[in-house]
Amino acid sequence: MLTTTGIKRVLPHRYPMLLVDRVTELVPEERLTALKAVTCNEPWYEGLAEDADDEGHGYPQTLLVESWCQAAGVLAAWDKPNPDVLSGQVMLFGSISDVVLHRPVYPGDVLEHRVRLVRALSDTVIFEGEALVGGETVMEVGRVVMAMRPAAELTAAREQSPAAQPAGVQ
Amino acid sequence: MAAPAAGPVRAVPAAGPVRAVPLLDRDGADGAPRTTVRIDADERVFPGHYPGFPIFPGVCVVELVHRSALATAPAPGARVTLRAVESTRFLSPVFPGDRLTVELKWTRREGHWRCEAVAATDRGRAATVRLRFTEGSTPC
Amino acid sequence: MSETTAPAVLELENLRRTVADVLDVEETELTDEADFVNDLGVDSLMALEVMVVLEKKYGVKLGESELKEVTCLRKAYDLLDAKLTAA
Repeated sequence: MLTTTGIKRVLPHRYPMLLVDRVTELVPEERLTALKAVTCNEPWYEGLAEDADDEGHGYPQTLLVESWCQAAGVLAAWDKPNPDVLSGQVMLFGSISDVVLHRPVYPGDVLEHRVRLVRALSDTVIFEGEALVGGETVMEVGRVVMAMRPAAELTAAREQSPAAQPAGVQ
Repeated sequence: MAAPAAGPVRAVPAAGPVRAVPLLDRDGADGAPRTTVRIDADERVFPGHYPGFPIFPGVCVVELVHRSALATAPAPGARVTLRAVESTRFLSPVFPGDRLTVELKWTRREGHWRCEAVAATDRGRAATVRLRFTEGSTPC
Repeated sequence: MSETTAPAVLELENLRRTVADVLDVEETELTDEADFVNDLGVDSLMALEVMVVLEKKYGVKLGESELKEVTCLRKAYDLLDAKLTAA
């Protein structure tokens, strides 16, 4: 069992992009179950039109994927925690495949993410699983591939981005 | 396709992880539909992704592809709803200040629409994304 | 992709369809000898992913080195065939 503080020791994600609240089961190198409560007070609902209907309050689908992947990230990195992305190895998304969205998720739902390790290779991990609400599958995840890469690779890439150029700095 | 020629595309939903709204650059009449959008440093996600090292989350690139798809959907008038992320490959990171262009290709499949997109920054391809949509808005 | 379905029977055209879908390439491009990385521009991560999908589809277990040897459809077929006949 990991509380939010435990998750923060493993993942570099912080508010408002820390989308895993609690880990309820963790079998190293095998599987993990984690919870994320959805509330109408999340920043993603700021600016939603006042006349938005129930469906308009559906949790952003891409963040359902992100939340599940962060749960997978805990399983991938729990024994080599690196909450600081600037040093050592960083876990990068490689790919996401066959994610099926069965039904919308609404404020008040609690997501139960089930993550299974499909394959762990020297520097690559592959996961699969699903997300449930009230025991009903709301999303299936066919395959997520994560690769461990040296942080330097990321910082080098950033040097060429507009934000890093002196002229480009806002 | 009745999409507006240019100008800010009012892509639904207004809320969501990304404030930036993709602008329709080419509406598909003369070549693949394309949108462009600038990733401002004040996007909501950056303070937490990650503190001291803002990187635009991969799923937010997928979100911008999603919005670009909604803005260029081939089913005129009929709402299309995202049913699956069939495949997404993250090829290079996206940072604050980047300009992201998304080029899309819509194909009709049996019972659904497939949208294949390439998202790129000035440094090259950032992600390839293949989405599945069905017509109508009722969840299946 | 549930665990309970029986492993598929190995058949070249069906294998071609599966691999083409994972690699996101047209089946016509995926000839028996086309090299995943050099001819089809597939990255190493994707080549690995293909093998993991095939492991599950045909119910076989491949070592990391065996995974990395498969660089075209013919090699994938031969490795799977060897594994299935040996099993």
